Formats: sequence, C-alpha cells, structure tokens
Amino acid sequence: MSVLHVVFKVDGAEYVLPAADVLQMESFTGATPVPGAAPHVAGLVQVRGRVIPVVDARLRFGLPPVERTLDSRVVVAQLGGRVVGLVVDSAREVLKLEPQQLKPPPPLVVEGARGFVKAVAQVGPRLVMLIDFPRVIGEETLDGDGQR
Amino acid sequence: MSASVDLADFLPAYLAEAEELLGMGHRQLLAMEASIRRGLPHPRAVRELFRAVHTIKGLSAMVDVEPIVDIAHWMETCLRHADRAGGRLPEASVEPLMEGLREIEQRVRQLAAGKQAAPVPPGLLSRLEALDAEGAPGGSAAKAAPAALALEEAVASRLSTAEREQLTTGATDGRRAVRLDFIPGADRAANGITINSVRERVASLGETVKVLPLSGPAAGGGALTFVLLLLTEASDAALLEAAGGPPAAVRPLAVVAPRAPALEPLPESAMADEEPEEARRGGGSLRVDVSRLDEALERLAALVVNRSRLSRAVAALTAAGAPTRELQAILQENARQLRDMRTAILRLRMVRVGDVLERLPLLVRGLRRSTGKSVRLELDVGDAELDKAVADRLLPALVHLVRNAVDHALESPEARRAAGKPEEGVVRVASHGRAGGLLDLTVADDGRGVDARAVAARAGVPVPPTPDALLEVLCRPGFSTRDAANATSGRGMGMDIVQRIIVDQLGGELGMETRPGAGTTFRLRVPLTITLLDALVFECAGLRYAVAVGSVEELVEVDAARLVWPAGAGGVALLERRGDSVPLMGLARLLGRGAADGRGGSVAKALLVRQRGELAAFGVDRLVGQQEIVLRPLEDPLVRVPGVVGATDLGDGRPTLVLDLAALGLARAGGAPHRRMAPIREEGRLA
Repeated sequence: MSVLHVVFKVDGAEYVLPAADVLQMESFTGATPVPGAAPHVAGLVQVRGRVIPVVDARLRFGLPPVERTLDSRVVVAQLGGRVVGLVVDSAREVLKLEPQQLKPPPPLVVEGARGFVKAVAQVGPRLVMLIDFPRVIGEETLDGDGQR
Repeated sequence: MSASVDLADFLPAYLAEAEELLGMGHRQLLAMEASIRRGLPHPRAVRELFRAVHTIKGLSAMVDVEPIVDIAHWMETCLRHADRAGGRLPEASVEPLMEGLREIEQRVRQLAAGKQAAPVPPGLLSRLEALDAEGAPGGSAAKAAPAALALEEAVASRLSTAEREQLTTGATDGRRAVRLDFIPGADRAANGITINSVRERVASLGETVKVLPLSGPAAGGGALTFVLLLLTEASDAALLEAAGGPPAAVRPLAVVAPRAPALEPLPESAMADEEPEEARRGGGSLRVDVSRLDEALERLAALVVNRSRLSRAVAALTAAGAPTRELQAILQENARQLRDMRTAILRLRMVRVGDVLERLPLLVRGLRRSTGKSVRLELDVGDAELDKAVADRLLPALVHLVRNAVDHALESPEARRAAGKPEEGVVRVASHGRAGGLLDLTVADDGRGVDARAVAARAGVPVPPTPDALLEVLCRPGFSTRDAANATSGRGMGMDIVQRIIVDQLGGELGMETRPGAGTTFRLRVPLTITLLDALVFECAGLRYAVAVGSVEELVEVDAARLVWPAGAGGVALLERRGDSVPLMGLARLLGRGAADGRGGSVAKALLVRQRGELAAFGVDRLVGQQEIVLRPLEDPLVRVPGVVGATDLGDGRPTLVLDLAALGLARAGGAPHRRMAPIREEGRLA
C-alpha cells in the first residue's frame, strides 16, 4: 500500500511527512513570539480559530534564518492530542511512497540532520527525507530558556 | 418618601422584567398569528399575551411611564375581547398588536439608555382603539359568546370564559365536546395507565381543553377523578379505550341553547389572576444578574489562591518534620471541594439554547414580510445549554445565518414552484447534542444552494474545489453575492462576521455543505463555556499585549527625566510614586524583544502590579485601551511558560498574548542578565 506524503522544502532539501498526520497547510504571515519558549519555537499562530504553536524548521535544523516569502508555509500536523505547526520554506506537493522505498538514512544524513530524519526515499532523481516529527517539535526546552 | 430614589432602585428590575415579558409577548403573538393563518383560535396564546401586556402595564404604571401604560392599556382591551371570543383574533389585529409591542420595546430601550420614554406615536392608539371597536361585544365576536355547557358546578366553576367558549364554539366541523372521566388506581398504574399516559393518548385523539382533578368518591372505589374536557372526532369507544376502559366514562357535553343576554363581562383583574396553576412564571427559577455570578467566581478564585498559600505553608511544615498527614488529607479534600464549587458556579451561568433562539421567529416573521418569501422556521434544539457568555456571542452569528438563508438562499415562491419545490421554504436551526465540552448546531435551508461558479467569478478566484474552500471564499471580508445593498442583509453576506464570531472569538468551527437546487447547511461547533477577562491592552516593542485589569493597581505616566538608575540594579530604574520608590522594569526587555537600552527611552507608561506583595512597575510604550477579551489558555508544552496566561484575538486574526506581569517579572528578572558587575549600559547591550 502506497502512502500519501506531503513534501516540503527547507533550505533546498526536500522532506516528507505522512499526509495522514497533516491537518492543513497555511501560508505563513508571521507568528506571535512567546517569551521564554524554546528558541526553535517561532511563536503562536491562529489557524481556523485554533491557537497553535509553530516551530521554525530552519532554526530547528540549525540553518541560518531567511526572509519569509510568499512561499513560506505552516505545515499543521497532529501529534497525538496536540496540534503543532512547522514553518517551512515552501510546501506545494504530495507524493505517494511505497513502504519499501523508505530506507534508513545514510550516516552522513543522520549526522547533518541531528537525528530529525527517520528515513530517506529515492524518488526518481530526487532524494526525500522522512522527518521524525515528534523529535522536530521537541518538547524538551533544554537548549536554553529562550534567552537570546 | 423620595419617589425618585425608589424609582432608580426599581428601574433595573423593571427593565429586566419588561424585556422578559416583551419576549414572551412576541412569542405568543407569533403563535396567535400562526393559528389565525390556519383559521383556528388560540385561547392560550391570547391569554398569555394578555397577561404579559397586563403585567407590563402594571409595572409601567409603578415607574410612571405613561406612554407604555397607554399602549399596553389599549392592547389589553383588544386582547380581552379576543379572549372573550374564545381566543379568536381578526388577522388585521396582529399587525397593530405587533406594532404596539415594538413601540413598548423601543420605550423600554430608551429608559434603559437613561432617556425619557417617547410619547405614543400618533395613530397607534387610534389603530388599537379601532380594533377594540371591531372586537367589541355586539360585533362578530359576540355571536359566538353566549352558550353554556352541561356541567356540574364543581367543574363549570373551574373553567375560564375562554375555555367554556372553546368547548361551545369548538364543537363544529364534526368535532364533539366530550367529558372523559378517568379514575386512577394501583391496578391501572401497574398496567402503565396513569393520568399522564391517558393525557398523552387522548391528545392524539383530539384537543384537550382542560384537565381537572376532582376529589371525592369515584366509580370503582377511587377517591380521585380526573375530568378531561375534550374536543374530538373520535368515538366514545376509542376514548374509553385510551383511558384504559371502565371505570373510566365518557359523556357528551351537550351545548345548552344560548341564554340571552351575553355573559357578564369579566372584571378587569379576573383574567390575570385566575388559574393559579397556569401562573407558573418564574416558578422554581430565579433571575440573577450575570455580574453577581462573576463576583461569586471571583471570590472563589480568591479562595483558590488562599488554598495554594495554605498548601505551601503545609509543605514548609512537612519539610520541618511536623506531622502533617492529616492536614494534607484535609487539603486534598478541600481542593476537590473547590473544584466542585467552581463547576457548580459555572453551571449557574448556563442558559438554554432554546431561550437564546427565541428572537429568531420574530426575525423570520419580519423577513417574511420584507422579502415576500414564504418561509417556515423550525427550531429543534432540545434542552441543550450553553454558557451565557457563549450564548450572547453566538446569537448574532445565528441571526446572520438565518437572515442570509431567507434573504439569499430561499427562492421566491414562483421560482420554488417552477423548481418543483413546495412554495414555503424551510430554515431549520437544530442542535445535535454536545460532546467533549462542545455544542454542535446546524442552520439549514432548502433553498437554491451556493453556486460555486458564481462565487468564484465574483471573487475573481478559480472555482473552489471543496465545500471548505468555497466557505473560505464566502468568508472573505466584504464578500457579497449581491450587487445592490438591500435592507435585510445589507451589502455583504456577513459571512466574515459569522466566521469571526464562531472561529476566532469562540474558538469553534464552521463548516458548510451545499447542493445546488437543494439547499445549504452550515455546521457550527462552539465550546460550551469560555473564559472572559476584562483586560488592559497595551503596546510594547511593536506588539500588543493584554493583562487582566484586576491585576493592575495603577497606571502611571513615566517621566524619563525623573527616573533614578541605581548602579548595579541591572537596568531596573526607580520610579517615584507618592514618596515611595518603585522598581521599574522595561517590559520589552523582559519579553526579550529588542529595546536594548535598559533606559528604554520609549517607555511612556508604566503598569503597577503587586509582586509578592511588593509594588513593581512595568514600562510599556503605549496604552491601547480596556476591553473584554476571550481568554484562550495555552495548553501545548511548547508554549506553556511562566508569565503567559494565554492568548486572545483582538480582532486582527492573530493571537495576542495575555500576560501575568507579576509572574513574568519574577520568572524573567531572576534569570535575566542581572549580573551585578555589569554596568548598566553594557547590560543593555547584553539583553
């Protein structure tokens, strides 16, 4: 059974999330910063009446911040009872992946992606990475208490 | 005795009561109108409306509002005649009565706004008086009036004029007036035959005019007989069967030839006072000002705070080795009790959804007249309940949806006929129960449905592929499917307002299903309760924030020249206030937002709060104002941080943080760049 995935881009690399976990994708027009939250938490956004926290994928992946563009998206995902958004550079595609296409990530990727990549899949000439969403969201606020 | 003082004390109660009576009056008048259209009398509605108007008149006389007394008086006179005519009212009377209620309502509003009630509009009284002449004895109504029933005194004396007349005049068109005697007993009850079951079964066989319990020896050895007076087409056998057979008995109520002259007119007060069993207004319930409930809740909050102090004290005792096992058990019990108490108070704030919707029939009636469309409103909300605060916000959204349905969705009677639909359109507001603290409601019509293509063309977007996408286009601010403004729905469809209320304010959900030609259904899901907060909104480092008004002791202007900057205080200045010095922290810095210089030149105002009993000042850029906000708690661990109570939507569709300044100050100042050795200026750069 092939599984539908949402594809999104962060710093030119392509990542996927199972579409079943994604509630919706919204354009990103900025978040309300929350003082004292973890640095990778961009803040709060209101999505269809719901106030949800959003995590900045670039900050989380240790990438330099860029100016947000019209392409910027919030990928709103369900995580158990929680709903959390991930700010990405763009997201405009879905992809069907066979389970056997998903392979353990090569060591280089594991290292570069700080354990946020669960698997990789070769789709024609493209390499897409399946992210470990709970890990990316990361409840732990150990990397500082928000002081900049 | 100073009358004016008494009046002022009495006015709020008067206004509340008058409003409730007007609401009831509108309901009854609509019910009467519906009956008239079907050619039936509605004695109960006439009577209830009479009561409402009569009470309004009495109350208004007490507060000396002459115009209302006058209007109510003539309405009352007209209704008294209708009552004597067995609840029949000429159709032409409905509009002047409606107008009367409207005029009374308008004057009640004027009083509520602290103004004088306007004089009676010219023409209204004469229109009402004209009704009086029409319905006066000697007119059409009198023909039906004189008639008598074969009833023993014990029964006859307990019937009102209207009921008597309903029985005498209702026995036409093949219907008979009969009396069914039911004698309850243990054996019958064992078989499920009780007065309630009999009532129910009889109701399906005809119209029950009155049920009277008579005590005294009854057939079959009973001591109680229920006399049911009915208008029915059913046979005696069927009625007897419905009452469980003998010892029940059926007797016809032979109508005795009219006696002349007509019945004695009722004394003025009789109608309002008789039948105490029907005078159940207010029975078992109490009207309470919402602010009193809020006050109770606030007192409770103080108790909760006190409890946490107590439990800290107990913890300290425990740490010091004191035997506190029993104390702790009591504390736990106390926590549970406080929770229960909170639940109980919150339940007091719940109102029936049905009561919230009582304005809708009136709205639809008005729309029927202004649009010329034929429409029936169906309300099916059961006994669902909502917090008053939610209900108050929800109503405007429902009004919008119902208005849109009649105005835009339903076709004209001709168009409906051409489409093979019944001429009368249906708008249905229903509730499908609640789950998980949420209430589901639908507003459905059987109109033309939303034309996705037309909507897309108007909005200049591609045709929305899904109902959700279509709804999103409809909800764009200012979107309208009509070119010209019209009186009922104005220019826009107002869907953006509906969305703002349901989704942004209440944190609920809005959905839509539509089938071309078949109709549209809006699905609303709203929380049963919300938390409201009176908040001060201010701006700091380019963003708006809110704090609970109650937490702020004082607002002060900051004169930068008069601040004292003690060395080594880590960017905390001292503010002089009535001879005391209060520490002032730039809020921007606490929030980690720019404003690098601790001396924060832009700080113009300061909010003074108590921090562990001591005053502390927080500098902000600008005050925006005070407003009531809906507090949305932040539950996700990613954003559960000290000093942030929750978020709210101030109307821009973005979350605005609601802060607890004292907690924020404590949490952030302690760990903030506060190192002693750093001189203030460098300090600023570090921050």
